[in-house]
Amino acid sequence: MLGRIRSLFRALTTRNDFEQGMGEELRSHIEQYTDDLIRSGVSPEEAARRSRMEFGGLNTVQEECRQARGLRFFDELVRQSRYAARLLRKSPGFTITALLTLAICLGANLTIFAVIDSVLLRPLPFPNAGGLVTMFNTYPRAGVERDGSSITNYYERRGRIPAFDAVALYRFETAIVGEAGSTEREPVALVSPEFFPTLGVNLKMGRGFTEAETSLHTDTVAILSDRYWREHCGADPQVIGKQIRRDGVAVTVIGVLPPGFRFLSSRATLYFPYSSRPEQRTPSERHSGGNSRQMIAHLRPGATLSQAQAQIDAQNATLEKDDPQAKMMADAGFRTVVAPLHADHVASIRPVLLLLQAGSLTLLFIGAVNLMNLMLIRANGRAKEMALRQALGASRGHVVSEVMVETIILTLAGGALGLAAGAAGIRFLAVFGADQLPLGSEIAFDGRLAAVAFLGAGLLGIVLALPVAWFALRGHLANAIQSESRGGTASRAAQTLRHGFVVAQIALAFVLLCGAGLLGLSLERAMSVSPGFRPDHVLTGQISLPWSAYPNWSSRLTFNEKLLSEIARQPGVSEVGLVNNVPLSGDNGMSAATVKGHVLRPGESLRGHYSYGVDGDYFTAMGFSLHEGRFLTAEDSRRGERICVVDEDFARYYWPNRSALGQHLFVGSTVTKDSDAFTVVGVVGAVKQVGLTEEVAQGAVYYPYALRTDDRLFVVVRTVVPPESMGLTLQKLVRQIDPRLPMSDVRSMDARIGNSLIAQRSPALLTGLFSAIALLLTAIGTYGVLSYAVSLRRGEIGVRMALGALPGQIRGQFLALALRLLLAGTALGVGGAWLAGRAMRSLLFHVPPTHLPILAGAAAAMALVSFAACLLPSHRAARISPMEGLSHR
Amino acid sequence: MAKNADLLPGTLDMLILKAISLEQLHGYGVLLRIKQISGGALDIPQGSLYPALYRLEHQGLIASEWGQSENNRRAKYYTLTALGRRRLREETAGWNRLAIAMAAALNAAPEET
Repeated sequence: MLGRIRSLFRALTTRNDFEQGMGEELRSHIEQYTDDLIRSGVSPEEAARRSRMEFGGLNTVQEECRQARGLRFFDELVRQSRYAARLLRKSPGFTITALLTLAICLGANLTIFAVIDSVLLRPLPFPNAGGLVTMFNTYPRAGVERDGSSITNYYERRGRIPAFDAVALYRFETAIVGEAGSTEREPVALVSPEFFPTLGVNLKMGRGFTEAETSLHTDTVAILSDRYWREHCGADPQVIGKQIRRDGVAVTVIGVLPPGFRFLSSRATLYFPYSSRPEQRTPSERHSGGNSRQMIAHLRPGATLSQAQAQIDAQNATLEKDDPQAKMMADAGFRTVVAPLHADHVASIRPVLLLLQAGSLTLLFIGAVNLMNLMLIRANGRAKEMALRQALGASRGHVVSEVMVETIILTLAGGALGLAAGAAGIRFLAVFGADQLPLGSEIAFDGRLAAVAFLGAGLLGIVLALPVAWFALRGHLANAIQSESRGGTASRAAQTLRHGFVVAQIALAFVLLCGAGLLGLSLERAMSVSPGFRPDHVLTGQISLPWSAYPNWSSRLTFNEKLLSEIARQPGVSEVGLVNNVPLSGDNGMSAATVKGHVLRPGESLRGHYSYGVDGDYFTAMGFSLHEGRFLTAEDSRRGERICVVDEDFARYYWPNRSALGQHLFVGSTVTKDSDAFTVVGVVGAVKQVGLTEEVAQGAVYYPYALRTDDRLFVVVRTVVPPESMGLTLQKLVRQIDPRLPMSDVRSMDARIGNSLIAQRSPALLTGLFSAIALLLTAIGTYGVLSYAVSLRRGEIGVRMALGALPGQIRGQFLALALRLLLAGTALGVGGAWLAGRAMRSLLFHVPPTHLPILAGAAAAMALVSFAACLLPSHRAARISPMEGLSHR
Repeated sequence: MAKNADLLPGTLDMLILKAISLEQLHGYGVLLRIKQISGGALDIPQGSLYPALYRLEHQGLIASEWGQSENNRRAKYYTLTALGRRRLREETAGWNRLAIAMAAALNAAPEET
């Protein structure tokens, strides 16, 4: 078999040589035979005549030789392709409509598929991608679904879980890198020594971190990403051993990562050792995960996820035996979840992507149905020609392959256009925030996608050609020759199929419309949720004070004080405050707080709460509402008194019928001595912490900044001018105070809110776009079928007009047809919309999966489109003159 | 001229393989050779020789290369491949079995039945 393919391939690639050689061989045969005949005494003329006669027709022999070599099929294909291309060129209207439809539908699918392929399907770009897992602690009954892993977890699990051959801990943060005046805040990662081996990644240069480099005094080493090495070190091949500054401290470069290395969606450019103090590794710190510390592991070959899970569960159970906190953690539903790293990383986006792919596939379906209808109509126009050719001896195979070749040429051209549309679509998706998706920056448009495009286009071509081929074959030969010429309604089956297609199209477009409606309404409802603060005219930006330059609280508070007074002095600023983390920053974690005198009810566990440290006039700058008592002010930070402010959710939960003022609470999960207690001095309104669509009122506590150990710092400024205009001023002010300090992530709160809605907005806009295209396609489809129906029945209508039918009756007949199609389509669509609504329930916000006004709206839109589409054909039908009935016969 | 026998279907391939197995031949040579080894009894329609050669080459049973013929013409010479040699052996054996069986069957006398 292989040999034959090779022989065919050789004959195809060296086609000219093949033809030339064959001609030469056959001619030489004839000449030799002629010579032999002459030699045996035959006259030259007679010899030439006889040799040619005995050899037979040269052309026939050559054709048989080609066939013997398997070339005939290809010759035929080329011939048919030429014929098909000529036919397509001859009907530019059809060809352009078909190509545009294909380009849009295939382009939309390829765009979404490119995202799905890159985000969901392709393995992570690490040699060890297959066996990578992540682990996180969960305390569901405390309201904390994910709490990462603690340093203690890491040291306790390392080497003790047989299912893992490597375990690593990491954490993303930022660092100030560079010399005074030209410092930049860089995203960095702290990783344990096994991190790169766990992924299977080898450094391009230098070495990885060692165990000795994990203490606070020995961690002055760094590994550079390839990008940082190129952009900041001039791709210096001697960079190993050189020094860079991290938060003002000199660290030595010991390695460079290979180009393109990126851990999941991290933008880290520098890697430092994950160092910790011995007391951070003790059992009492076992539950201090705090969502920023994450753990990954690699499964030993042959080990399974469930084995790993069982071993982790067993270890947790053993360790909890002599843990004083065990009871409390068990009450909180504590467990450690082991999950595949890739699946876990993209879990949040998976349903959205699948929904969008379903939407774009529906679009493709509608487009394909349109094309099928167009092609059926076109084929009907050529039925006579087909029938005649079959009658004259064209084989059935020939007719089918001709239809196939024509359709496949069409869809392949459409596929090429679709590929171009898809490439544009990816760029368009970037506007929708695709690069902010998990793994979103990995979205690739490459040979693999092109292969999918052409394969898909080819398959689509075959599917599209089937009904046409079937009708061409069912060969109502004589029948077609007669009936189509009479313009009668010969092929009822074809008509039923055409109408069925329009019904399917209306139903699918209806489903898409409903889906877009549900998502749009969800978005609207999410947007109308109040964040709990006044986001207008608020500018925020992040600073991080390195511990090396600001080693103690007094120096940090001095900096805060200076910053607050400098900013407050600026014109255009009405209030300014500081906080360790703003709402909706995307990184809002919870920690435990314990209320004095609160007795846990049965089944109730410790609760996690959002906690913040505030300085200056944070509450007024952010626009919080005050329910009771007072806000914290800059004075409170200065005085260092142990007081705090809680939000209404917190107050309602712990003191439902009492005033929260004067109550006491403790940081952490235990009640300690009274001098550590914080006294509640105020109750503020609840704000949305992680997103506008969050539903759980978890409660928040605000402490004076000085009493929160956190090195993050956000500046919050309420302005009287447009907030964005203050951005540069703020950055300059910070540099004036300390030239080493960059300010980053400068954005208004309105922008942060907008950004937090991206998960609602993008799917809503995309499905909206899909359904708009679907409506257009449906209109085209309905119009095409109806105007064809009119043109088929011109003769009949003419006769009826001649017999006295009124134009209104004729128009009514076609409007009634459109109405029937519409009703059938909508009825089917309602069923589909019900199913679709249920399937996308998890993506909806405050909207039921079946929403009557949306169904009604979609039905109205479909009705409008259908009637618009049938207006012109029915009008045309009504204007057919009686004379036409006669001349048409 | 002796009375020519008609070719049975499928036998042309066998004859070509046999002719080429004796020595490397060009197309016209194959024709002459078959005539010669069959004692002139088998007459091959000239037109059907080449499609058969191309088919055999396509099947990998024979290989071809261009060379100089005895009277200094460029000619395409065919040789048998290993696969072709095996096929020829099998076909020959098969043919012989068939021929013996046919002869026995056709020579059967009434009392032997």
